[in-house]
Amino acid sequence: MAYLTMENITRFYRDNHVLANSNVDFELRRNEIHALVGENGAGKTTLMKILYGLEQPDEGRIFLNGSEVFIRSPLDANRYGIGMVHQHFRLIPDFTAAENIIFGMEPKRRLFFLNRREAEEMVRSISDQFGFDVDPSAVVKNMTVGEKQQVEIMRMLYRNDETLILDEPTSVLTGRQIESLFYTLKKLTRAGKSIILITHKLNEVLSIADRVSVMRQGKVKGTYRRGEVDKKELSQLIFGRDVQFFAGRGVSSGHKFAGKKIFELKNVSIRSGDIKPLLDSICLSVSPGEIVGVTGAAGNGLRELEDVVSGLRDLSGGQVFYHGEDITNFSVHKFREKGFAYVPADRMKRGSSLQASLKQNLIIINHDGFSRFGILNRRRINSFVSKKLRQFSIDGNPDLPLHLLSGGNIQKTVLARELSIETDFIIFSEPTWGLDSAAGEYVYKKIRTHRDKGKGVLLFSSNLDEILGLADTVFVLFHGRIAGRLDNDGSLTKELVGTYMLGLEIDE
Amino acid sequence: MNRREKENIIVSFWGVLLVLGASLLFAAVLIFLLSSEPLPAVKYFFTGPFLSRYFFGNMLDAAVPLIFTGLGISLAFKASLFNLGGEGQIYMGALVTTVVCLALPEFNGLAGGLTALAAGSLAAGLLAALSGYLKVKWNVDSMISSFLLSSAVVYGVNFFITGYFKDPSSSLLSTPFIDSRYFLPHLMNPSTLSTSIFFALGGAVIIYFLLYRTRWGYEMTMCGLNPEFARYGGVNVSSYVTMPFFLSGLMHGLGGGFAVLGTYHMSIKGFTSGMGWGGIAVALIAKNNPLGVIPAALFFAYLNAGSKAAMLHTDVTFEVAAVVEAFVFFFITSEVIFSFIRRKRRSLL
Repeated sequence: MAYLTMENITRFYRDNHVLANSNVDFELRRNEIHALVGENGAGKTTLMKILYGLEQPDEGRIFLNGSEVFIRSPLDANRYGIGMVHQHFRLIPDFTAAENIIFGMEPKRRLFFLNRREAEEMVRSISDQFGFDVDPSAVVKNMTVGEKQQVEIMRMLYRNDETLILDEPTSVLTGRQIESLFYTLKKLTRAGKSIILITHKLNEVLSIADRVSVMRQGKVKGTYRRGEVDKKELSQLIFGRDVQFFAGRGVSSGHKFAGKKIFELKNVSIRSGDIKPLLDSICLSVSPGEIVGVTGAAGNGLRELEDVVSGLRDLSGGQVFYHGEDITNFSVHKFREKGFAYVPADRMKRGSSLQASLKQNLIIINHDGFSRFGILNRRRINSFVSKKLRQFSIDGNPDLPLHLLSGGNIQKTVLARELSIETDFIIFSEPTWGLDSAAGEYVYKKIRTHRDKGKGVLLFSSNLDEILGLADTVFVLFHGRIAGRLDNDGSLTKELVGTYMLGLEIDE
Repeated sequence: MNRREKENIIVSFWGVLLVLGASLLFAAVLIFLLSSEPLPAVKYFFTGPFLSRYFFGNMLDAAVPLIFTGLGISLAFKASLFNLGGEGQIYMGALVTTVVCLALPEFNGLAGGLTALAAGSLAAGLLAALSGYLKVKWNVDSMISSFLLSSAVVYGVNFFITGYFKDPSSSLLSTPFIDSRYFLPHLMNPSTLSTSIFFALGGAVIIYFLLYRTRWGYEMTMCGLNPEFARYGGVNVSSYVTMPFFLSGLMHGLGGGFAVLGTYHMSIKGFTSGMGWGGIAVALIAKNNPLGVIPAALFFAYLNAGSKAAMLHTDVTFEVAAVVEAFVFFFITSEVIFSFIRRKRRSLL
């Protein structure tokens, strides 16, 4: 029965000591829709990247129709009929639908010349066969997200892929677009295709998947047929009922944050184009001595909200206040002048300049203070830099480019810089990404110290342990809206936060 | 780590030397193939610039405008901007300097000369700044706009030199001579070398200081290396597009102005041609280091003087000399551009 089997797959990331997949067994049957669910970082994407040849397992084997296959690249995957649609589409905006679909496997006329008519004909026949609604000659950049996704799927069909992997296919779609996607998927399985659906959304799993595999902490915790489990059981499987929650640990429980607000968002929204709002009427506030945690599954607005509060992205609606002053759509420059400290989730591209020297990286937010009449005071800069290197035990030559440092040292550089400003408001986003547990503990301590000094902390994190261990108040985002505002008073559990994350509490 | 970086620096240093050496070798081979008296031709090519005060001084003088244009290009490069309009900018700077000198007969030498230089460099700076402005305003590709604007300006300047400001008594297509009070003192008679070389050296030091010791230079460098990081750090990124272009144009304008006051004492049709492109090669060899621009410009001037000497003494023609220079330019740019692309690609990953 099993058509594709992954056996004993293990993948260890040496850079940050993460065991992403640990002895994973996974089995796909013909004509089924198999959902793969789990928290962020549970290992779903790693497993699928291995199947698609983007990564190599340290251990384990893959069998197709009973014989072992070695998938070393997406090209190999294609040879074995395995295709993948990534969460972020990989289409060429200036090409037409047909050109994107045939790209890489063009029908040739006399060896060299692209046969455009034949290409469009082939695309049209796929379109008719499976009921797609895409004009082959339309240019991709003018398409809606739903149409772009159809193009991605048609691309796999054009290549005669038998196994289709879809990574979070519904995260950008509206209700009607999701319905039509699911209709298409059903039709594809009837035509003999097998589909793996990576998703966070339990309602989707229950409505479409024939079977579901739950991953947690790099392991498959079980595979179930439709009807065998319900929403509540699935969410318990995903977040684990056996976990000892450390809610309340280090949290100033019961403390009420009335009155003074350092930072406040009122009805903040972001809309762009035809897709559903990325953020919808977000209201939240941060008081002195409070850690406000914001969480949510990937694609639900966490990153967008991070961009808004740091001033990197303009709003379509709503207001932002700092100590009662309206700072809506201020430039980052103004935000920085107000003294905001901000540790971004993307520390490699946004949080640091890898080609610039360690020293140049450390002074980006306070070089104003080191200059007089526009001339930099090198002695003061050097003493500041060597002080920070000592304080945060960063191992590196201040005059050499940052990319020569180890990942951990780069992380510490970002922290050292952001924590060097005197401020009453700090934004942390995914503060422990890429850190080992000792370094993570250190960061937690820093965050708590800030809270205890009466500063306001806004913490974005997709790691629920982190949220429950640190935050006084927890906001859960789902589909760009606040699905729940929860007080972390000691009774809050990971499971409960999880149900909000999966949209179970607000759906229907 | 440290060792790896040191090795990188050593490798790139030898890389530049290798490219320069290969260029010279190639020039020699080419002369051998194309000249009927190859041995003297090669000898003059390599030693010509050192044979007399005249040749040596002229070589140093030829390096002056290249230092200015090289500095201008380096500045823009530091902000990750490609100013391809150097030819038009230096020509414009030269013409405006000449015209201001001609229009101010009653000024004394110093005030008049400074006013003329200021006007010339300002005109060239504004011309370049236009490309930066168009990029900020409408996201026009600044590489293309600077090139196209400059190409048009070259014809405009030609029109004024050969028409409106032409000296009717001269057989050259040129403006009249400027007043001799504006001439910069000569240093190595009978060569054309003048005190303008001190201004060029001073300019390099000032630009070095600006880039590496000021807040402004720091912010601009950060915008060039990773604009997202600069923006995140609170730097007003869009202001570092127009400004670097303006300064880049300013340096080109000064190059043109000093060529007039120090060397030519008038504007002749096409007399700055090649100095703009030369500046790009100089900046590339110098890896955008303002102090590195000085030896790089000298190397380029040496090459130029060598081919002139070979031309004068043997049957090497102007075309052969031009081909040799073109190949050298090709070698240098390919090496540097490849390493530039490699760096870009790595920073994308």
